[in-house]
Amino acid sequence: MTNFSFDNILLNFGFGTKEEKKNILRENPSKKIFMDLTCYDPSEFYSEFPHLKGSFAALFCDELKKIEIHFIEQDQTVLSKLIELGFTPIETSIVSCGFIFPRTIVQIINEAYFALEEGVAKKEDINRAMKFGVNYPKGPFEWSDGREIYVLTLLQELYSKTKDKRYRPSRLLDPTLSSF
Amino acid sequence: MNLKKIVVIGAGTMGSGIAQWFTQQKCSVELVDNSDEQLSRALKSIHISWDKLLEKKKLSLEEITEMKESLSIKKLDIVSKDADLVIEAIIENLEIKKDLFNKLDQYFNSHTILSSNTSSFPIELMAAAVSSERRKRFVGLHFFNPATIMKLVEVIRPKDADEQLCHDLYQWFDSKDKRPALCKDSPGFIVNRVARNFYGEPLRIVESDNESKMKEVDHILREVGGFKMGPFELMDLIGIDVNYSVTCSVWEAYQREPRFAPHALQKQMVEEKRLGRKAKRGFYKYD
Repeated sequence: MTNFSFDNILLNFGFGTKEEKKNILRENPSKKIFMDLTCYDPSEFYSEFPHLKGSFAALFCDELKKIEIHFIEQDQTVLSKLIELGFTPIETSIVSCGFIFPRTIVQIINEAYFALEEGVAKKEDINRAMKFGVNYPKGPFEWSDGREIYVLTLLQELYSKTKDKRYRPSRLLDPTLSSF
Repeated sequence: MNLKKIVVIGAGTMGSGIAQWFTQQKCSVELVDNSDEQLSRALKSIHISWDKLLEKKKLSLEEITEMKESLSIKKLDIVSKDADLVIEAIIENLEIKKDLFNKLDQYFNSHTILSSNTSSFPIELMAAAVSSERRKRFVGLHFFNPATIMKLVEVIRPKDADEQLCHDLYQWFDSKDKRPALCKDSPGFIVNRVARNFYGEPLRIVESDNESKMKEVDHILREVGGFKMGPFELMDLIGIDVNYSVTCSVWEAYQREPRFAPHALQKQMVEEKRLGRKAKRGFYKYD
């Protein structure tokens, strides 16, 4: 994880466990904090930590660096800082576990892994099918490349929140299926 | 592999698009349908499309003339028996398809490859209607609408199909203006399976029939995800009934696996006839 501090604000980027994220909030009680919570449910954090003033989802962003951001308290200096860091923040009013794009994309990626696990097609064919059959900007495995841990963490978090088996991960993502 | 003579059965939107695409690849194509009216309509529509390409100078007069000569409309009992490839694109009714394939098996020469453009049925169920020898040359070829523009062809290999034949078909499409994807004969193949959650998950994010939330989800998935359309506007375009039907079909085929479960709102909208753009009412209103 990476932190940026300026004025009385702390911006937290990167992947961490839920406890690691909460520890940052515990260790900085006097700061206004804006945190990457791609893999978690921001509402859980908001209710526990009143000094968390906003959250964003940057773990799945591509080279265009467009990210969803939700504010409890909108802060222009935070928006300016994110732009300065090369991001394009796009505000949302919806507070959802895994935000909107990460939550949707991990489910698409998970299904692609199920298809791979069942030997339906090779990775390249699945990527090609989604790009040229339904015009997806990337194939599912191109989105997940190097981000499998984020995919699995978000699926586990969604399952933990909903107890809905639609979030069961493919064995290729979680060979032990430890949460299920 | 060199595919020269193609027969396309069914002159609806998909069949005529497939016939047009093969003709544009310099194949000799026979388009077949029970209805003379449907055949004439399809041929006229293809000719208009080519004439527009001529106007836009994307094709020359010689090319257009050659293509018009290479595409003919026929009744099934007079098509060439020595076709290299037959593509079925008729109504999605399994019994009608099986009956057709049984006749095609007896009609065409032994080298002819039989294929189906179905998006709903396992290819094996149709292959069961032909001889064991023909089953080696029986595959799924799933094109996407509009077939002349969408690059993907899913080349579906049922268990009895010859592996080399599928590989050769893949190579042939790859050498033309297509991006083939080879896959096993399993429900939804690749696209109709993997794409389900592009619709299912946003429905669970918004949960209720809330237009402003849907607009926001569409906006985020376009802007952040880079999708050309958001899920709600796309479902409205496809048709809520069509999308719901595909979802239910995949869900049932996977023994009601929760990952494919339809959302209650989809069923409700179909019952209320909020079928999307075509009904002027879907997730959004179109006046």
